[in-house]
Order: sequence, then C-alpha cells, then structure tokens
Amino acid sequence: MSTLAAARARRSPWRVTRRVLLRKPGRVIGLAIIVFFTLMAIAGPMLYPGQLAVDPDNIYASPSGAHWLGTDFAGSDVLQEVIVGARYVLLTAAISALVTAALGTTIGLVAGYHRGFTDSSLMRVTDFVLTIPGFPLLVVLSTIWNFGRPLEMGLVLGVTGWGGVARAVRSQTLSLRERGFLEAARGLGLSNTHIIVRELLPNIAPYVAMNLLLSVIGFIGAEVALFFLGVVPFTSSNWGVMLNEAVFAGGAINSPQALSYLLAPLVCILLLTLGIVLFLDAIDELFNPRLRERS
Amino acid sequence: MIEARNITRTYRSHGAITGARVVPALRGVSFSLPKGGAVSFIGESGCGKTTLGKILTGIETFDGGELVVDGVELSGLSARRRAPYFRRIQMIHQDPYSALNPTRTIEQTLEDPLRMRARETGGDRKAVEARAAELLELVGLSPEGVLGKYPHQLSGGQRQRVVIARALTVDPEVLIADEAVSMIDVSMRLGILSLLRDLRTRLGISLVFITHDVATARYIGEDGELHVIYRGSVIESGPTDTIIQTPVHPYTQCLLSAIPIMRGLELPGPQRLVPIGSLDERTEDTGCLFAPRCPFATDECEVAQPALTPWDPTHQHACLHAEPRQVAAMEIALSQ
Amino acid sequence: MTETIQQTDRPVDQPVEVSVSDLTVVYRTDLGELPAVSRASIDLVPGQITGLVGESGSGKSTLALAMLNAVPSPGRISSGSITVTGLGDVTKLAGRKLRHARGGTLGYVFQASQNSLNPLKTIGKQLLDLGRAHDVRDLRALVRRAAQLISEVGLDPDRVLDSYQHELSGGMRQRIGIVLALVLNARVLILDEPTTALDVLSQAAVLDIVRRVHRDSGLTTLIVTHDLGVVSEIADRLVVMYGGPNPEEGPATAVLHEPSHPYTRALIGAMARIVGDISAARVLPGRPPDLTTVPRQGCVFRDRCPLAMPVCAEEEPELVQWTPGRRRACHVEPTGVLS
Repeated sequence: MSTLAAARARRSPWRVTRRVLLRKPGRVIGLAIIVFFTLMAIAGPMLYPGQLAVDPDNIYASPSGAHWLGTDFAGSDVLQEVIVGARYVLLTAAISALVTAALGTTIGLVAGYHRGFTDSSLMRVTDFVLTIPGFPLLVVLSTIWNFGRPLEMGLVLGVTGWGGVARAVRSQTLSLRERGFLEAARGLGLSNTHIIVRELLPNIAPYVAMNLLLSVIGFIGAEVALFFLGVVPFTSSNWGVMLNEAVFAGGAINSPQALSYLLAPLVCILLLTLGIVLFLDAIDELFNPRLRERS
Repeated sequence: MIEARNITRTYRSHGAITGARVVPALRGVSFSLPKGGAVSFIGESGCGKTTLGKILTGIETFDGGELVVDGVELSGLSARRRAPYFRRIQMIHQDPYSALNPTRTIEQTLEDPLRMRARETGGDRKAVEARAAELLELVGLSPEGVLGKYPHQLSGGQRQRVVIARALTVDPEVLIADEAVSMIDVSMRLGILSLLRDLRTRLGISLVFITHDVATARYIGEDGELHVIYRGSVIESGPTDTIIQTPVHPYTQCLLSAIPIMRGLELPGPQRLVPIGSLDERTEDTGCLFAPRCPFATDECEVAQPALTPWDPTHQHACLHAEPRQVAAMEIALSQ
Repeated sequence: MTETIQQTDRPVDQPVEVSVSDLTVVYRTDLGELPAVSRASIDLVPGQITGLVGESGSGKSTLALAMLNAVPSPGRISSGSITVTGLGDVTKLAGRKLRHARGGTLGYVFQASQNSLNPLKTIGKQLLDLGRAHDVRDLRALVRRAAQLISEVGLDPDRVLDSYQHELSGGMRQRIGIVLALVLNARVLILDEPTTALDVLSQAAVLDIVRRVHRDSGLTTLIVTHDLGVVSEIADRLVVMYGGPNPEEGPATAVLHEPSHPYTRALIGAMARIVGDISAARVLPGRPPDLTTVPRQGCVFRDRCPLAMPVCAEEEPELVQWTPGRRRACHVEPTGVLS
C-alpha cells in the first residue's frame, strides 16, 4: 500500500497549496499582500493603542525620517493611522464576506438542488435582494444606525450583497445536478445532506471563492466610500475617514500639502485589490484536482 | 425480479406561443426480468430507451402502467417507501467521465455508500476498507493503483469499472447499463461487457442492457430477451439470437443492416435494408409509427398502430407486413 | 508549382496524393519531450479510402492534425515530412499559404464536429465566413456549390443554410461538417472519428455519404477511428497505429481476413460481433498506449503481446513489406501470428 500512502501524502493540503502557489510568482505576491494587510489589521491597534499622538506644531508635514508618510491635519503620523485603520476596513470586509458566503452558498445550493417551489421562492427572495441598491441603503441606514463598529457595517453589507453569489451557485448546482455522479448518488440512496455537502459543495467551491474575493473588493470600496462621503459619523479611524479628511479638510485636490495623507490609504486599497486579483488566479487550481495534480 | 406492465411516460414541453406540446417518450412498455436474467433494449437515440432506464432506477417517474419489483407494485407507494426497492436497482451510466465526481478520489467515492451500508448492517471502518478493495478487485482493478486516484487520472475503461464497483457497494440485484460501453474505445469494450456477464453468472445479478448496438447486447445476454423500441413502443421482442437471425419487423431489420460488416470475415446479409429518412418525432401518430420510414409501408399502415402479435410462441412483433429477412452479416469460414 | 514527391519504399507502385514519411510529433511535458507519433509513414492513394485505426493514445488524432500542420501546443512536428501533391511539404507551410491549404486542398472534419459549429451563427453565415477567409470572390457560386453538396448528403439546402446548430441532430451536424470540408473543392478529405457518438443508423448513413462523396468528387480520403468495424465497412486500405511505427498496413479485406500482427489480431478478436462464436472473442489485455508509459526501446506493443520474445524488448521492429501490398512491423513471422 506504499503507493497509496505516497499518493495521500502528495495530496496533503499544505503541499498542494504550496505547489499551486509556487507555479506562478504572481500568486505568491498576491498572497503575500493579503497576509501583510491581515497582519497589519490584527497587530495595528496593538502597536499603537489608544489615541494617536497629536502634534499641533507639525501639521501636514511632508514625509521625513520621523514621519515616513508625513502627518495629517492634527499632526498625527500618517503611517500609524494607516496601520491602525486597516483593522476596521479588513474586519468589515471579512464579516461581510462571511455572511455573503454563508447565505449565498446555502441559498444557491438548496434552490438549485431542490428545484421546484423551493427554487422559485428562494430565487424571488434573491431577486429582491439583488434589486436593493446596497450603497444608497447604507447611506439611509447610517442616519438611524451607528456604523462605528465593523460588525454592524459588515452585516449590512453582507445581508444586502449575497444575491450574486447565490445566483452563481444556483446555476452551477443546476448544471451539476444533471451530471451522472449526482444521479448515481441519489440512486445509491445517499442522504440529501451528504449529496449537497460532499458531492456538490467541492464542485462549486471555486465559484464561491472567486465570487467571494471579488465581492470583498466591492465591500472595501463601499465602506471606504461611505466614510469618504462623510455620511457616517467618524467614530473610528480608518482609511475612508483619512480620505475624507485629506480631501475635504486638507484640500488635497488644490494644495499639495496633504498629498501623502491622501495617497497613503488610496495606495493601500489599490494594493489590497491587486493582491486579491493576483491570488484569484490560484483558486481554480486549488479546488480542481485535475488542474492541481498537473505538476 | 422486475415486472413492467404498460409503462407510459409523456413529456410536456411548454411553448409560450405555440402552446404546450405533448411528447410521448414511452407508449406502454411491458417486459419481465427474471432473477439473474438479462433483458436488452435496442433502439436509436431518442427512442425512449434512456427514459426507461431512468424510470427503472427511480430517477424519473412514470405516469401510467405498473412497475412491480420483488412482487411489490411501486406506483402506489410513497417516495420514501419506494426508495429501498429502487436501491436494489443500480444504474451504470453511459458517460464514465461525468458519472464520477471529479473532486473526490476513488476511495472516497466508494466508501461513502459503503459507510452508509455499514451503518445499517453494523460494519466497522475496517470492513468498509476491505470491502472497497474487494469490489475493485472484483471489477478487475488493483486497489493500490486506483484508490488514491482522482477520476481524471484513469482511462475511460477504468472509470467505467469504478462506476460498476460503486453500483455494487449497495449489493444491488439488478444493474441497468445504459449505453455502458458506447463512450469507451472499441478495444476495451469487450472487457467491460465480459465483466457485466461475469457479475451475472457469479453474483446472480440481473441485467437490463440498453443500447443501440445489437452486437454488444448479444454479448451480454445471448440467452436473454431482446426488445426493439421505436419511438417509445416495443415493436419486436424475443430471444436475442432469434431476433438477430430471423428479424421480422422492418425496423429491426434496418437496425441490424446498419451494423458495419467486418469485410474479410463477414459477408453482408443479402437483404440489407436502409430506412427512409431519419427519425422525426413530429409526424402524426395515427398509423404505424415507423411507416413514414418503412420501405414496405402500404396505405393500411397509415390507418392504425399495429399491436404486438406473436410470430411464434417466443417471438412477437408489431407489423402488418412482418416477414423474416436475412439482413445480419454472415460469417466467412477462415481459411486455415 | 512542381514538387518532387519523396520516394519511400511504398508498397504499391501507385501515384500518391499524400505521403507522410517518418513523421514524429512530440509533446512537451515535465518529463521532457515525449513522442505522440513516432516515425509514422502513411501514403494516401488517390481515389482510395484509407482507414487509420488505433486506440485512444495511439496518436491517430495527432497524426490527422499534423496533416494540416495544426498540432496544438505544446506539441510540435519534430521531424519527417508530409508531402501533398500540389502543395509540397505541409510541415514547411506557414501563414497565408497554410491557411489556404487547410480547408482548401485539405478538407478536415473534426472529431467533435457535432459541436464544432458556431452556435450563434446560421450555417449559411458560417459558410460565407469560410469563403471570405479563403478569399473566395464569387460567394454566390460558393453557396450554390454548398447547396448542391447539402442535397447530396441528403438534406434540404434551404432549410439547413438558415438553421442554427441546435436545430440540427448529431448526424445532420456531422453531414454539415463534411459539406464544409468539401465546399472549397478539397481533394483530400480527412475525417477524425466521424461516427463516434452517433447511433448505428446515423453511423450507417454518414458512412454511406462519405462513400458517395468520395466516389463522386474523386477524393482521397482518410478516416481516423478507434472502431475497426467502421473502417472495415468503408476503407480500401487499412493502417493500424500503436504509439510507435505502424504495426501493420495493407488492403482492408486482406488485413481483416489474415492479420499479420499480434496487435491487429487482438483488435479483431476483441470486437463484439453479431455473428460468430461469442466465446471465441478475447478481451484485449492491458491498457491502450500512453504518452508517458509507452516503452522507449524495443517494440511498443510487447507488454500486451501474447507472442513477445526476448528480442522484442531490445529491438524495435522495422516496417517492411512482406507480401505485395502489405507491410508489417513485428519480430514474429507472419505465419506464427495467424496460427
């Protein structure tokens, strides 16, 4: 049974992931960027606890040895602000992604697998969710609800954003449903739960993952935009708040003094997006044994 | 084992403008499959033979007739009560490429149903593993070489063997093979066919063999019954060899004539027939369904559908102009 | 354009339309470049239907594509030549000339030609696209020619030209594939698995059409298939393929009646037939050849061969003429194979 053992070892998830990632340098870079920002989000607020230092004598300073990215309108260090602000942005995106994945996958799978009445009623709900304009809703909700914590913001983004994932999962499920292996599983008398979890889910996982990563980019954009527009009260420090301050308080559009203050969060968002896009390339191979075994 | 009486199935296609159109897939099919026996259904694509296979495995429902499995009439039972009967009947799919889950190894594919079975019979993990290996050996694969692999790493023939092993995990009494070898290399077909034949003789599993190729049907069930289906109804039936040697329905004769001749080994039958035109579902159903393509059709064929009538005690046909013709190839003796 | 046709030890002293000689096609893999076709030689005689039979993995489809110089990446033709009368060596053609050769002199019907039509365009539109790609001036004449061919293959031209792919059955699409391959007056027709996925009646109809257009248009035809039955029904000459050099070739009837290579014999023995003794059929042991497992040295068939001898592991047999019109590559004597 040595060949079998060897085959099992070769398929251990870590080795598979490593091999798939190393196949193209872009994937490693993408993952590195994502990990970098995740670490930043976890460690940031611990590095600089409490309120950031304020220096009224040194506002809108240019980048220097003491302040690598200059200072803001209050004289706080921009780099520290970026680092501390990462948590809110990423945590919100993570929560909304989680909600989207859970709702979208479950609803899409159940609708596609059971078809009939279940399908049509679930899809009407999905259509309804898809027609909710998520962003304006947030603007309206923000007048009555405090989005100071990532949880609320993430929940609202997630609950309004799962429609696309559900649609994609359902159409995949419908096409897989007619495949021989699902008919066989039903014929063998395997339970519906087993069929959905063991047979269907692995086949739609790449679509879920891809839709999810793409929607994360959208979520980041949406939350940052909310703060940038200033429709949400600034109870926390994050990249959106920074952009707002740089443009509306610092006048970065007219004067160059707040430029680094403006660019820092922008570049972070772009980098994170780039990281996700680069990493997306690896998803299909990670989930598809046919692609990943090709060494 | 299985007794089917007058099974009908009709599909309704919903056209927004043209209105609903009724397409009969099966128009009253009856047959009986004894324990350990073999029945073949022959017909071209679109004749309803795949629908029949799906009805027999419970994937598709039927809307008329009776299906009796092990003495129990199934149409009266609830879906839940029916399930255990359908589990005794397992399907071997045509396409071994889509019949296996691409994201799961052969080991996982086999052990899921085996574990379900073990929960019912009280087997443990060891028994499950042993049974998986035993089944793979039974279908002619080496467990070490196959268990850890994904379907895409196997050849078409190997995959079909895995599909058969998976069907055997629930100890079925009947296997339905729907074009089980048509997507496999001709050179590898005989291996699968002889495996199915072996399962019949060694395990006493009954076979329903659905195909367009009379030659493979002959190999599976030489001693069995053969039913020729045309547009949802059986137009000729009888013992396999009788039908091949003395077919009396013109459609059966067309099917037999279409089989390629192995020149150098066989001579074409002197009365080979070619059907007129191709299968058209939309023609009127008043007369004999095959009449529009039949070289021997006369006016009386347009009047009513001929019923299945006996030609001799074992051999039935549904044709007004039934006549035996020598259409099948004839063997040339080898000069050695 | 005059071309000197390369002289090979052709079995019959006949004019040759297409001469494949010593063709090797390799695929780049992680294990280095592996040959999918290795030193294959086939001559297509004008007016004859040649059947190329092999299991999946024998390189038969690769060989057919190589005849259009269209081996998909990561494969490439590494050595040998394909000489076509009037075109010269196809492996040396490139760009515009190559494009015109494909679909022009060389008509090709794809393996999945049931699916090789564009689902968004009518057949007529695709026909015009084909004409424009080949700089056909008189498109009306092209449509007239197509209409004539369509009725020759037993379909209604007006209806077919206005149809989309999904409105036609598998057998009908296969016929359209043949029409499109011939509409630019091809002289050589290459069909890759023309009847796979068709039922016996459609298969018989398609084979009948191939036979008819072959005769009426005076074509040189190559049918590539894994089904010995198809070849025996229609082919004049039979070429068996297996990983390396062709094991056997010759007139179809003679090869089937008296196979001189253990592989041919095993292939015939593994057919499920409607006549003859069922218990005489023998399962072909082992697996079809595979790019990675085919032996590099000696006879490629020896692992599955019931007659293998020590010499088979060391020396690759040469393809030699043994009786007029027939060639074989085997260390065992021809008489030893049949008995």
